[in-house]
Amino acid sequence: MKKVLSLLLVVVMIFSLAACAQKPAETPSTETPATETPATETPAADAKPYKAALLLNGTLGDKSFFDSANEGLQKLKDELGADKFDFKVEQMGATAADEPKWEPTLLDYCDTGEYDVIIIGTWQMYEALSAAAQEFPDQKFIFFDETFNEFDTGNFNNIYNVMYKQNEVSFLVGAAAAMMTTDENLPMIDPSNKMIGFLGGMENSIIQDFLVGYIQGAKHVEPEIKVAIAFVGNFYDSAAGKDLALVQYQNGVDVGYNVAGSAGLGQIDAAVDAKRYAIGVDSDQAALLPEKAEFIPTSALKNVGNSLFRAIQMDMEGKLQYGAVEKLGFSEGGVELVKDAHYEEMVPENIRTKIDEFEQQIISGDIVVDTSAGKTTEEIKAIMDSVK
Amino acid sequence: MILNALLSPEFFNAALRATTPILFATLASAVASKSGIINMALEGIMLFSALFGVLFSAAFQSAWLGLFVTMILGGFIGFVLAFFVLKLKTDEILAAIAINLIATGGTVFLMLTVSGDRGVSSSIKSLQLPRVALPLIENIPFLGEIISNQNILTYISLIMVVVVHIFLYKTPLGLRIRAVGENKDAAESVGISSQKIQFTALIISGLLAAMGGFFLSGGYMTYFTKDMSAGRGFIALAASTMGGNTPIGGFLVSLLFGAAQAFSNIMQMGASLPYELVQMLPYATTLIGLGIYSYSLMKKRHRLSGK
Repeated sequence: MKKVLSLLLVVVMIFSLAACAQKPAETPSTETPATETPATETPAADAKPYKAALLLNGTLGDKSFFDSANEGLQKLKDELGADKFDFKVEQMGATAADEPKWEPTLLDYCDTGEYDVIIIGTWQMYEALSAAAQEFPDQKFIFFDETFNEFDTGNFNNIYNVMYKQNEVSFLVGAAAAMMTTDENLPMIDPSNKMIGFLGGMENSIIQDFLVGYIQGAKHVEPEIKVAIAFVGNFYDSAAGKDLALVQYQNGVDVGYNVAGSAGLGQIDAAVDAKRYAIGVDSDQAALLPEKAEFIPTSALKNVGNSLFRAIQMDMEGKLQYGAVEKLGFSEGGVELVKDAHYEEMVPENIRTKIDEFEQQIISGDIVVDTSAGKTTEEIKAIMDSVK
Repeated sequence: MILNALLSPEFFNAALRATTPILFATLASAVASKSGIINMALEGIMLFSALFGVLFSAAFQSAWLGLFVTMILGGFIGFVLAFFVLKLKTDEILAAIAINLIATGGTVFLMLTVSGDRGVSSSIKSLQLPRVALPLIENIPFLGEIISNQNILTYISLIMVVVVHIFLYKTPLGLRIRAVGENKDAAESVGISSQKIQFTALIISGLLAAMGGFFLSGGYMTYFTKDMSAGRGFIALAASTMGGNTPIGGFLVSLLFGAAQAFSNIMQMGASLPYELVQMLPYATTLIGLGIYSYSLMKKRHRLSGK
């Protein structure tokens, strides 16, 4: 009896893990037969395609980073053809139960030696990458969305670190929010106070960078602006996110900005309840939540896909600078503000013109957006206090 | 600023809202614990129920029918837990961990199968239970604003405190549950089937937790997001234990927790304290509250023993 039971439990656990790592049918297949057939047919051609492995500490279908990364690689494959470029996606899952397998999976991929480059991202993979890059000095890595700060040790010349100027796009969001909060013509605005909101997941360096840009943008158009700031403490408790955002809306915030993963979706629910505005992040949240789109003027995006597309193209030409950080902003297409028909419908033209002007000024360097990188906690606290 | 916000009806409103899912799960934990089994699968049951609520309210286009089916399925998960623990003699903690693990991956898997989404169930047109304005009470200044216009499940959770209390202490089945929990062998010696009683208790526990889960996605929020139970099942387990596994005690602890949660939200808005410190507040308050409570209990015992 006990044996049957323990077997059952094992099956149950395997099922739960397998469920996290479910591979959707549309994942580009890179099984060996597919790649080998063309190779044997054209023996004279370049021996092997450039192969990339994308290891996600989450799953596809997030309608955000990971999907964007996958789309970027797919686009490159479509453009160059499968004989020139191919890639494999490994979905490792995001929960605490999945975490222990991230590093082993990464090491397994390094061990095969099959891939020209292994792509991983986010701060949660930092330590695994650091370990793997030292153990496999010949394996090349692309690391996105977290600063890798050990390059000066000289040991990591196999990592290309791509970052996004989330502060630049947040500058535009802050400017838009500050202009909207005083615009009497908008239906859900109380123009009597100048207050906007910010809902972060945790106070890490990336979220701070969002915040610093947001505050600067808001102050740029409205020096007297007040910004209500709150942090959920994680990236998944959407109900807690909703309560925090509700407190902000009830105390005079008209436009909020959520940078808190799926916990941030709570802010959108709060905006619906309070009849206020919420600006999305990481994915086009108006498209993600069509029924609540009338409360979401626009979203700020990091274009992970674009950046990978660009990096791999450069790497094929041997131009990619390994062993260094590169930050991509508006000029390289690393970040963008969603400007579709829905945005044009919701945001008045005078504000949109201003936003476009600011974007051009950022690209030309007339506006230099402040960043949290290199700032001490006290300096960031001073920025936050300046809009209290 | 903080004081103003604290005295506003919105604060009490938020406190009651934050209390509701924890209260359901606390009651669920109390019933299970009284029968002698710790239901640590509350977290998983809530997470599953939050998704089931979305799926079935959308399928039937009726929130009430959705709640009904969700409760049945919640009860079923309770039954599965009981089956493993009682029939197959699994360790109750291990079986519960398995259920919680299945819930994290399984909900995402189910959501993906049904809607093609992994993060948020936005493409499923689910329904929510309504908020209710209580006649007469809503006209009382201040108090009316606090009590009236809550989600109907919040009222149900408050009624459930009384119902579960009566159930445990005034009905034959409740007496049997407590008897089995106190001393299984003694209960069996007077002809009570302890297995049957524990099965029943865990199914009831599952039903109650399912209501809390349903509230998350069909009242608190209007959609399911992955991992949205966010540890509430475990907090409820603690709240129930702190409340001595009684419905009333559990209710007071969850209310304290909910109020501290709402207070910490306001603190983030107004105070210039580090947010990590503010976020500790609900847990710290509950701990301190428990400390004071057990100290006074100890004093009383000393007095009674005449020392």
